[in-house]
Amino acid sequence: MHLEYLLNNYEEAVAMILFGIGFSNLLLQKNLIKKIIGLNIMDTATYLFLALKGYIADRKAPVVVDGITSAEAYINPIPSGLVLTGIVVSVSVTALMLSLTIRLYRRYHTLDLDEITTRLRKEGK
Amino acid sequence: MAFVQNFPFMSIILSLFSGPLCSVLDGKRARRVNAAVIVIIGGMSICTLRYVISAGRPYVYRMGHFPAPWGNEIRVGVLEAFMACFFCAVTLLCMLGGIREREAQIEEGKQNLYYVMVNLLLCSLLALIYTNDLFTAYVFVEINTISACGLIMIRQTGRTFEAAARYMIMSLLGSGLLLLGISYLYAVTGHLLMSDIRQQVQTIAATGQYHISLMVALGLMSVGLAIKSALYPFHAWLPDAYGYSTLSSSAILSSLVSKGYIFLLVKIFYRVVGAQVVRESKVVNVLFVFGIAGMIMGSLSAIREGNLRRMIAYSSVAQIGYIYMGLGLATEAGSIASLYHVLSHGATKSLLFVAAAGLADASGGSDKYGDITGAGFRNRLAGVAFTVGSLSMVGMPMFSGFISKLLFAQAAVGHTHKMFPTVIALAISTVLNAVYFMKTVIRIYTRRPMEQAGGSGAAGPSPDAGAHAGMPGTESLPGAGRQVSLWEQPAKTAALLCFILLNLILGLNSDPIVRLIQSGFEMFE
Amino acid sequence: MDALLLVPIALPLIGGAALLVSSFRESVSGGRRGPGAGEAAASPHWPWLGRYVAAVLGISVVSALAAAWTGEREAVLFTLLDGIPVYFRVDALGRLFVTVASVIWMLAMLFGFVYMRREGKEKRYFGFYLMLYGILMGLYFAGNLVTMYLFYELTTLASMPLVLHSGKRESIMAALKYLFYSLCGAYGGLFGIFFLHRYCGSLTFAAGGTLDPAAAQGHEGILLIAVFAALVGFGAKAGMLPLHAWLPTAHPVAPSPASAVLSAVIVKSGVLAAIRVVFYIVGPEFLRGTWVQRAWMGLALLTVFTGSLLAYRERVFKKRLAYSTVSQVSYILFGLSLLTEDAFAGALFHVAVHAAAKCGLFLTAGVFAYHFGYTKVEELAGMGKRMPGTMWCYLLLSLTLVGIPPTGGFISKWYLAEGALQSDAGAFAWLGPAVLLLSALLTAGYLLPVAMGGFFPGPRGSAEPLERREAPPAMLLPLVMLAALAVLSGIFPGGLAGYASDIAGAVLSP
Repeated sequence: MHLEYLLNNYEEAVAMILFGIGFSNLLLQKNLIKKIIGLNIMDTATYLFLALKGYIADRKAPVVVDGITSAEAYINPIPSGLVLTGIVVSVSVTALMLSLTIRLYRRYHTLDLDEITTRLRKEGK
Repeated sequence: MAFVQNFPFMSIILSLFSGPLCSVLDGKRARRVNAAVIVIIGGMSICTLRYVISAGRPYVYRMGHFPAPWGNEIRVGVLEAFMACFFCAVTLLCMLGGIREREAQIEEGKQNLYYVMVNLLLCSLLALIYTNDLFTAYVFVEINTISACGLIMIRQTGRTFEAAARYMIMSLLGSGLLLLGISYLYAVTGHLLMSDIRQQVQTIAATGQYHISLMVALGLMSVGLAIKSALYPFHAWLPDAYGYSTLSSSAILSSLVSKGYIFLLVKIFYRVVGAQVVRESKVVNVLFVFGIAGMIMGSLSAIREGNLRRMIAYSSVAQIGYIYMGLGLATEAGSIASLYHVLSHGATKSLLFVAAAGLADASGGSDKYGDITGAGFRNRLAGVAFTVGSLSMVGMPMFSGFISKLLFAQAAVGHTHKMFPTVIALAISTVLNAVYFMKTVIRIYTRRPMEQAGGSGAAGPSPDAGAHAGMPGTESLPGAGRQVSLWEQPAKTAALLCFILLNLILGLNSDPIVRLIQSGFEMFE
Repeated sequence: MDALLLVPIALPLIGGAALLVSSFRESVSGGRRGPGAGEAAASPHWPWLGRYVAAVLGISVVSALAAAWTGEREAVLFTLLDGIPVYFRVDALGRLFVTVASVIWMLAMLFGFVYMRREGKEKRYFGFYLMLYGILMGLYFAGNLVTMYLFYELTTLASMPLVLHSGKRESIMAALKYLFYSLCGAYGGLFGIFFLHRYCGSLTFAAGGTLDPAAAQGHEGILLIAVFAALVGFGAKAGMLPLHAWLPTAHPVAPSPASAVLSAVIVKSGVLAAIRVVFYIVGPEFLRGTWVQRAWMGLALLTVFTGSLLAYRERVFKKRLAYSTVSQVSYILFGLSLLTEDAFAGALFHVAVHAAAKCGLFLTAGVFAYHFGYTKVEELAGMGKRMPGTMWCYLLLSLTLVGIPPTGGFISKWYLAEGALQSDAGAFAWLGPAVLLLSALLTAGYLLPVAMGGFFPGPRGSAEPLERREAPPAMLLPLVMLAALAVLSGIFPGGLAGYASDIAGAVLSP
């Protein structure tokens, strides 16, 4: 029964699995670039989830074509808007993380955050 | 609609747009613009506060004239306006206190960028306080994170880059969870405006439907915000971030940034989800347990720490623990105690950071524990300020920390399950706080061995000569230490005095403030 | 609002703080100079500092006594929290403590003028000394529990610098230990206050208690725990087991006049707090016959005995006196725990007698340390030949503490024993007097041999040349006055005993 439930909502299940993958990558990877990739997977999974929640079967994207203005014809537009906003946020955050990574790489010639920490401890007090 | 009602929106916009303005000015002008903006916003917040108090009820400000379910809203109550005033005041004082450090530690030509970040940060904090829309809250949480990261890494050393990277990673984990939680809640309720969600949640909770989904959403949001506000055990980034960034950054980060998230969490608890559902969920118990763990572990780490600023940073972990413990009680009194502690910690922690910088200044720039010996004599005001801050943190009467301790305990007394854990945790943590803070206070008021030797070495042969050698011995100090006079950095002196005053006001005249929080809290409903 | 009540609190605080930042000249940081150097430095290097301190303290003492003894007064400073003002009021109990503390403070100040030349850093010492007096006045005049707690905590803070005066590692550690025990204790007290706030009609002191029986109905168990926590907590300052260990560490490292006031007055603030909680907030009837009363009696008796025993075995003179304080203050606590009028009166009487006697004893220790650098008990052999005046004072003060008639100690212990026998405390009614007697014997055993050895050194002491070197008058005068007070209180006990009985009657049968 549970499995059936899961299979019927496989999109949500996939979104959650993706979120888990992204989350654990962001948390556990040592390599900064892999962390950033994890971050993007995690964010994308959330957007997938949001988009799914706004999707209504057999309806179209909320773009008025052919003069159809009835709300019945379209899916819920708000989640799409949220996804767009979310993408903007995640792009800026990714950019910041990447720039930080470049800075760290220039200084320490490694992408491994733990190694950087060890080196800092050594050179520091 | 009264003109004053526009002020919250205007203050957010003003601080948002003064950011770009600062980016084209040079450092000094940007600083003035920034200070002026903070003062103006503070003034506007005070007007808003007075308006809301006299109106006696909160008001909703609609953005872009879209009606309720679609449009974006600002909702202003007493508590929101008061928090805005407080945040402005603390930001201003932190900026004042750290002028010298900023000039020394930030590259020429990048100074103005600092003020861009501060303006953005203030904007996002205000938005977090005022907004009535969950997704807007998420967006400003991210802006807050980005600007806070900027504040950390503007002092360009390896340490701060590493700290900023760690801070970003933890924050992103937190905001990922927060976003997922918000999506969940949206999926369950179909709304993004807090008041609408609340209605839906109440109907859902009444019917018992979607219980698990609701709990998952609540759990995700709480954990996400807890991670972002450095609740133990998610605090690993905190000591580095607070310990090595430039002074204003540490002070602002510790006293405001994490508090913005906590305020958002309080709003989610009591305005979005509703007290009843929160109380019945197990999420608050988790927060309670981790809060208590944080109170004790944070203090233990602080005891072991050999660097003054990192010690203060670890103490933040403990103080955040207090706040979450109060939230974990899930009663009105507990939340009021937590909100009061937000104020008390905000005022005290920034005071400690600025005072610690003053002490380091008198000790050759080093804030290692061994080097600050006797620094209280070399920089009198910083010594007094540090003592005041320490006593407040320990919870001595007369200072703000005592009142929050009192409120926490009063909230705990009579609580069915959590009374004894709370009271015992408060006791242990008080003693642990005393261990490291009083140890430090004694150290800054102990003369260095070499100073003593210098004084009485000269005096050794004849006791009578000693009387004269005593005084000059303290004036011309050997080694790294130097005497710091009150007028050397007027801004820092002013900031310290204001912080001490703020602390005393919170400690001695807490009654109206607690009432204010209480009435604001009731307006949440 | 009565301004006179605020003068003795505010004036020493301001005066002390001003002294800390002032530019008076100090004698050189001492402690390094050898024994005997004290007299060489006795020439007044810092007359103005002394005059200033004497003037501030003098005015404060006069105003404190005037405020205490001229009728009812009360003053509200401001409101701290919802319905909890910082509130001062004069009452009979406060009057007694104010008087005792004022006398001790004046005499120890006089002694300190000479003694502190040896220790140096007089500004810091007298600055905190003055502030401490103001804080104590706040503690004694406090009209409600929260105000009292506020000043209780401040007492700890302001007395800590006296303990760590020498700045050596040992004294800093001792001060920290003192701080932690006091904080733990004060927290226990605070814990009690939280509960009492909930169940008592008001936190304003009223003889006989303000407990609201209706509110407390059904919560007796938790309320008893709270009261017990408060008693153990405030007992920390009074050196009651199990939180007594700070006392023998902190007292010996402090300069002698500081340990004198610590032992004579500061320790009593724990006693005052216990009296206030039990007799003025909770009410004695609530505790009578409960496990809290028995546990309190048990702890106090255990402390009386253990303290004496440890003092008996101790070889360091000031440490011995500190253990003696542990034991003697628990006499007072035991008297309170009996909840009878006689015992209560005896306890109050002992507050005054012990203050005089213990202050004097620590001051004699100070005289020996100042002149000869002697700290061990054995070193004091033959001292009676060198300093007969000091030694006679020591003898009289010891006799007082042991409780030999006609000294004051006899009166207080008599009252205590009688109160115990009258009480309905079961086994404690006879166990109490037995332990008190045993402890009195031990007290004699640890105090009197010093005097004996002092006057009759025997073969070991006589090897040294024993020239007479009496203490300077400024040191001897306080000693003589304290010894006189201790003895005279026993010869003419009427006034004090009557006063204490009146308070006892008021709180126990209102």
